[in-house]
Amino acid sequence: MNLSTIRELYKEPACSHNAGKKDASCPRPTPGKAAGGCSFDGAQITLAPITDAAHVVHGPIGCVGNTWNNRGSLSSGPRMNRMAFTTDLNNNDVVFGGEKKLYKAVREIAAKYSPPAIFVYQTCVTSMIGDDLEALCKAVSAKAGVPVIPVDAPGFTGTKNFGNRLAGDSLLKNVIGTREPVTYHPFNVNLIGEFNIAGELWGILPLLDRLNIRLICSLSGDARFHEVAMMHRANVNMMVCSRALLNVARRMKEKYGIPYFEGSFYGSGNTSEALITIARLIGDEGLIKRAEALAVEETARIAPRLEKLRERLSGKKALLYTGGVKSWSIVGALQELGMKVVATGTKKSTEEDKARIKNLMGEEAELISEGAPRKLLEVFKRHGADILLAGGRNQYTALKARIPFVDVNQERHIPFTGYDGHVRLAGAVAGAIESPAFRMARTPEPFGDPL
Amino acid sequence: MTEQLKVRDHNELFHLEEYQVSRDKKKEFEKGASPEKLAETRAYTCSEDYLKKNFDRKALTINPAKACQPLGALLAAVGFDGCMPYVHGSQGCAAYFRSHFIRHFKEPFAAVSDSMTEDAAVFGGQKNMIEGLKNAYALYKPKIMAVSTTCMAEVIGDDLNAFIKNSRKEGAVPDGLPIPFAHTPSFVGSHVTGYDNMMRGMLFHLAQNVKATEKDNGKINIIPGFDGFTVGNIREIRRILDLMGVDYIILGDNSETLDTPQDGEYHMYYGGTTIEEVAQARNAKATFALLPDSVEKSVTTLMKDDWGQPFEASIVPLGLSGVDNWLMKVSEITGKPVPKALEAERGRALDAMTDSGYYLHGKRFAIYGDPSYVEALVDFYMEMGAEPAHIVVTNGSKRWGRALQKKLEGSDFGKNAKVHHGADLWHLRSLMIAEPVDFLVGNTHGKILAREMKVPLIRLGFPIFDRHHLHRYATFGYQGIINILQWTVNTLLDDVDNKAGDFNLDFVR
Ligand code: SF4
Ligand code: SF4
Repeated sequence: MNLSTIRELYKEPACSHNAGKKDASCPRPTPGKAAGGCSFDGAQITLAPITDAAHVVHGPIGCVGNTWNNRGSLSSGPRMNRMAFTTDLNNNDVVFGGEKKLYKAVREIAAKYSPPAIFVYQTCVTSMIGDDLEALCKAVSAKAGVPVIPVDAPGFTGTKNFGNRLAGDSLLKNVIGTREPVTYHPFNVNLIGEFNIAGELWGILPLLDRLNIRLICSLSGDARFHEVAMMHRANVNMMVCSRALLNVARRMKEKYGIPYFEGSFYGSGNTSEALITIARLIGDEGLIKRAEALAVEETARIAPRLEKLRERLSGKKALLYTGGVKSWSIVGALQELGMKVVATGTKKSTEEDKARIKNLMGEEAELISEGAPRKLLEVFKRHGADILLAGGRNQYTALKARIPFVDVNQERHIPFTGYDGHVRLAGAVAGAIESPAFRMARTPEPFGDPL
Repeated sequence: MTEQLKVRDHNELFHLEEYQVSRDKKKEFEKGASPEKLAETRAYTCSEDYLKKNFDRKALTINPAKACQPLGALLAAVGFDGCMPYVHGSQGCAAYFRSHFIRHFKEPFAAVSDSMTEDAAVFGGQKNMIEGLKNAYALYKPKIMAVSTTCMAEVIGDDLNAFIKNSRKEGAVPDGLPIPFAHTPSFVGSHVTGYDNMMRGMLFHLAQNVKATEKDNGKINIIPGFDGFTVGNIREIRRILDLMGVDYIILGDNSETLDTPQDGEYHMYYGGTTIEEVAQARNAKATFALLPDSVEKSVTTLMKDDWGQPFEASIVPLGLSGVDNWLMKVSEITGKPVPKALEAERGRALDAMTDSGYYLHGKRFAIYGDPSYVEALVDFYMEMGAEPAHIVVTNGSKRWGRALQKKLEGSDFGKNAKVHHGADLWHLRSLMIAEPVDFLVGNTHGKILAREMKVPLIRLGFPIFDRHHLHRYATFGYQGIINILQWTVNTLLDDVDNKAGDFNLDFVR
């Protein structure tokens, strides 16, 4: 990947922490400090949920070995994306270049599996030995008769978030707008940054169906390649998560005039707001009315169940450490349960996210920009919190410290979206706080000081 | 009383009408193949013709069964007291390794990287190294920092020895801080090679100023190896040696740090081999490695050439003859007899083997994983009368493959088995279609394959993400025999019950 492209992408103007700054760019990692995944990781996370495409990692074994089928992005149909394809470079390839091997690998996949498209991921090693991904993809695509999409996001270009953006960039260049829907529909939406973790998309789809809104593509949870290709026919884009895919929404606005907004399906309040906003941006009066009615009806439907949980949770204190949109939307969802959110993580949040957090939690809200385990534990203790909601990497640290924990990141197994998802979230939080095992863990040993 | 919260899972949800509607709508965008075409393709991938084509595949690896070197290096490094694994390279690799271990051991796992970027790719990684070591030391206060490399640093050709010297010169870390290192390029070898290289780095560095004494100190050293069951196994080996009254040092004891008690604290460092112990290890009577593939080159040369110590690395203490042979070897070298208590344990293991024999005898199985584990498990299952059919090992050498093949040919139970070194799990699929087996042995990655082939998966290997607590059990020693049998037979019996019609649901098995 050429360096000027990298630098340019680093300066995504719509990213609000870049806005207005002269030499702005995304944050870079600090050497020697525990850090998250690389750009390759980010790119793969973004695209691998496209279920019917083949995904080939061009690099040494570990890059795919360590990521293979590890995230809970579920598919309602094809499972091509569960196959781990890699060129598994060896010493020789590093010396003589890996292009031939990649060429053969792609031909082999095209011939034997005939997927609608093949994504090819660059990694650090293949980028450094100078394999020309773009040219190669073009050549092999012509020969094999299937779109071969280069994803030039080698890990060393930066963080996971940056990789999300590079993946988005590749879709804009190579996929979006290359196909037309067969039938006309008046109301179409894309959900950008919805990854269908634990099937969360399926908590939303029936709601859209009831409003007669057609989902063209969820980028990329449970997506099909051709859905991505038709994304340009949506009436509105909703940014569900990961501000890093913002470049997709922004460029689609410039290029196709599709308006976008940022919303969330966590919490019933946010869900209602999101549905109504979609309707408003589509701009159909009848649709807006129906969305409003649906919100009222659904809220009333879950109210009795939510009320019971609210009785158990009200007044309890939560510490939240997650990224982007979730950093404010889950705050709202917990507050609706009568809980107090004592602090929230803002590592991956934009200035806008932070403003929303302050709006919800008050000016004095504690924002944690750095989530080292010790720091989290310190904040937890200082506030006398009752539960930590965070990602899998913090899970066992929390449990060691006898802190009730709920996973709200990619390893969660319970879908939290939509109205029913809100009840489930409340149930999971209550369950963790009230677990008898935790109560026991917090009671001192019965035998006093051991000898 | 808490209200029962009913959560429907997707298996149920998809049968509801509202979801069926959503699904049907998707079809318009799918342009997928027709069900007939799909069935046809699947049938083709099950044909003999495809089997041949599959094995002709050279440029593409599908569903690999190995990981990369630095991952193994990290597991070796955390076995030392106060050691922070430090990955010299781009940040992603280290993040992957951490999540891997967190998911397998269900424990926090600390490791840092110096986050090399495109500048480092052009100018080399020395700047990152100096800054990284400085930050990591200031932030995490380790007693040792163990540096391994990722592919990126290796492609650039960074010289760790020089970089670390320069970091010291620049005052990034205190003079006395040990910084062992290992070059661990992943386009060579696999995670077991990485373990080997890092273990050598640790032992070499931490003992380099220790003089050899004339007389040994009577202890033996144990090197556990890259082992997904390391927690249970190290504890079991300790227990056995204690019973025998043998004085020992575990080199790279990660059993504590990967299984910290719940005491209300988060321990970044917990237990592990101390620097003093490594110094003593230098003058031990002998060194035993429990898994030969994890000490194949580096450590072996160190022990033989530099330390001049008797080195025993060919016996895995797994399975009846494995444990027997290992105990006899320990006994022979230390002069300590095998005590009565172990004899009784052996009797119990044998008892378990005869109890379960009926359900394993004549059963055919496929297995994949790391060479030493695979070989030891195959030996053990053959002791039970089971018959290996397909043995797939991605990271075994040709020599190893040939030797195992030869051994199998000489055995009644193994004579129909074939060893496929360098193969992946997609090859294994073809093999299992051509010649079906009764069960599959391997790590979590075999889950989908086992489902497709409708056979039970016995989880033995690394990584195991989808089951809890296995790493806390021993697979070594006589106790390990009982554990492995327990998993294997009961998983097979679950399968019998699941597949049984109503007429075969016996209470006694
Ligand atoms: S780049 Fe090399 S070291 Fe890093 S994950 Fe990939 S194979 Fe492993
Ligand atoms: S940082 Fe580079 S080498 Fe490491 S996992 Fe990411 S792409 Fe692979």
